[in-house]
Amino acid sequence: MTTFKLPDLGEGLPEAEIVAWHVAEGDTVKVDDLLVSVETAKAVVEVPSPLSGVVRKLHAAPGDIVQTGAPLVDFEEAAGAGTGDARQRAPAERPAPEAPPEETARADAGSVVGSVQSGGEILEETAIAGGRRRRERGRIKAAPAVRAQAKRLGIDLAQIEPSGRNGQITAADLGAFQERARRPAPRPAAARPAAPRSVTAGESRTLRGPHRAMAQSMTRSRDEVALCTIFDDADIHEWVDKRDFTARILRAMVAGCAAEPALNGFFDPETLTHKMESRVDIALAVDTEQGLIVPVIRNVEQMNLDEIRGAVGRLKEATRNRTVTPEEMVNYTITLSNFGMLAGRYATPLMVPPTVAILGTGKLQHDVIAVMGGIEVHRRIPLSLSFDHRCISGGEACRFLAGVIADLEKPR
Amino acid sequence: MGMADVTLIDAVTMALAWELEHDPRVVVLGEDVGVNGGVFRATAGLQARFGAERVMDTPLAEGMIAGVSIGMAAQGMRPVAEIQFMGFIYPTVDQMINHAGRLRNRTRGRLACPMVLRAPFGGGIHAPEHHSESTEAIFAHMPGVRVVIPSSPARAYGLLLAAIRDPDPVVFLEPKRIYRLNRQSVEDNGKALPLDVCYILREGEDITLVTWGAMTYETLKAADRMAKSGVSCEVIDLATISPIDYDTILESVEKTGRLVIIHEAARTGGVGAEVAAIVSERGLYDLQAPIRRVTGYDVVMPLFRREMDYMPSVAKIVDAIQETLD
Repeated sequence: MTTFKLPDLGEGLPEAEIVAWHVAEGDTVKVDDLLVSVETAKAVVEVPSPLSGVVRKLHAAPGDIVQTGAPLVDFEEAAGAGTGDARQRAPAERPAPEAPPEETARADAGSVVGSVQSGGEILEETAIAGGRRRRERGRIKAAPAVRAQAKRLGIDLAQIEPSGRNGQITAADLGAFQERARRPAPRPAAARPAAPRSVTAGESRTLRGPHRAMAQSMTRSRDEVALCTIFDDADIHEWVDKRDFTARILRAMVAGCAAEPALNGFFDPETLTHKMESRVDIALAVDTEQGLIVPVIRNVEQMNLDEIRGAVGRLKEATRNRTVTPEEMVNYTITLSNFGMLAGRYATPLMVPPTVAILGTGKLQHDVIAVMGGIEVHRRIPLSLSFDHRCISGGEACRFLAGVIADLEKPR
Repeated sequence: MGMADVTLIDAVTMALAWELEHDPRVVVLGEDVGVNGGVFRATAGLQARFGAERVMDTPLAEGMIAGVSIGMAAQGMRPVAEIQFMGFIYPTVDQMINHAGRLRNRTRGRLACPMVLRAPFGGGIHAPEHHSESTEAIFAHMPGVRVVIPSSPARAYGLLLAAIRDPDPVVFLEPKRIYRLNRQSVEDNGKALPLDVCYILREGEDITLVTWGAMTYETLKAADRMAKSGVSCEVIDLATISPIDYDTILESVEKTGRLVIIHEAARTGGVGAEVAAIVSERGLYDLQAPIRRVTGYDVVMPLFRREMDYMPSVAKIVDAIQETLD
């Protein structure tokens, strides 16, 4: 036999009036069956049966006032009832008049207030009151867009010197870093041990310095550029000074730019903007012991051959001494790769975006030339012109190359 | 002055009793707060102890309760009014925004309004309709009104004392789901805790979790779960919802670079949006990932069968943390 006492219906009200019984003595009820309607000072509340069993005794009649915690119904519990499911346990067993009914879904429906869960757990916490002064922690500061861009480019923000307000890294810092990474400054010899010229067979190497920059810029070039390469040769049989290669080729590139300015400039795929430059700043790919570096000769279009020759000399000197600064290796408009020192006549050189063209010159060779009335042997420079076909047409590229060849074939 | 393991609701009663005993200007008023000791027993025994003139039962008229409190406060008393449920608080909105919040300004500083409006709020107790919402943002939007939400017995005690002693109106919202959830050792020594600051419940390095009220429990559980996979969460209890202690949050975000805000209230226009906005304005360059919110939904709070689906759960918080870390 179990006695169900009038639960505290949550209002803290001391009593309730029986409005109507929905069961009679002897009835068999299941858990959640409607038992009784009671009226508190707040509302009429339907009280469901807390368990399954037979009703043995109703302790009050309609109209009676029952005190909270006083006996309401005696039950004969059904076999097996009240075990297992926590929802079916307890309310009848609870003696404390102030204790709310156990959290059973149905019992809640009969409560005006709801059911506040009680727990005996002891809370231990160490709450620190805030409001402290902010302190500089030297964390990296960068806008989410800059972080996303860095992530996309595989750049570690920790390597970047911030220039923005409050020490934040800007998109421009990222661009400058990338530009430098593409053509890192060779430091004075003492500052850095020379990398071995060649790797030993069977060993692996982690790319560093210029090699690493090359890996990044060439990957980007492959991913972005629609590369097209045209091959031809310039016959230099008529040259007066037979050894003036670099300066003559640079001048010829200026002539090519004059014939077709489209190749001297930049392409922005985001805005589909192709910008032609009036200055001709030629990057010169130079193979060094440290790897490929690409210093720039500025405003070649304003130089005569002597001046170009002087500039090339100074550049070679600086490259040898490794005194080329990072500033001297950025912001060029077109590239020359003079690759044929040892071997290789033609190539498909890759330009670095956003530039759109690169001219490669291969190994000079004496070629057998068909001429009017017979054959002759002439020296020729093999030319490989790569251009970005996204913004430059084949016709434009050919006009440029024709301009280069015409200038190269002049005697002086 | 003993030390006792008390529930949050006990701590409220303790603070009220302390202040009634030590400050004769303090009065408690509200529906059923006297004879019956309050719908949740917050004022149990206080009328017997301090008399019906200091612990007053009022008619069922919330607008009047707030208005009478403002009048008493303006005249030098320290009324602590109880609204039975936050669902009944809306008639007080007129009094709070039009009078309580601006009395100091209106009288050019001659009158202040040192009143406290207490109300249980939040879901999770299977209550009937309109007993479960968290609408703290309504009061947070009122200039001149402080909004304070405790999340432990110790803070219920210390912050309620501070709220009563504060010279301006405070809406003190009590998360009723955790009224009796656990006990904490609280010394009944009349010592207030600071208002207008966050409480750092757990220090961490990888992500900042900002929450308040009953949601601190789910948030701490989520932090526990993340700790098992090696993620260190900093858990911040906002505590004073308005004005917000931004320095503590910004400092934390500067450290962790990531922020998830958890609140029970509906998402749109919630206080979480304000926290996110400030971090966007002043902490953007520290962020490594977008700010996320785990909140209730923009729907009417469901009745008890579905109410736990509405509330942020430990699983939902863990998901948001993981998305933020990805």
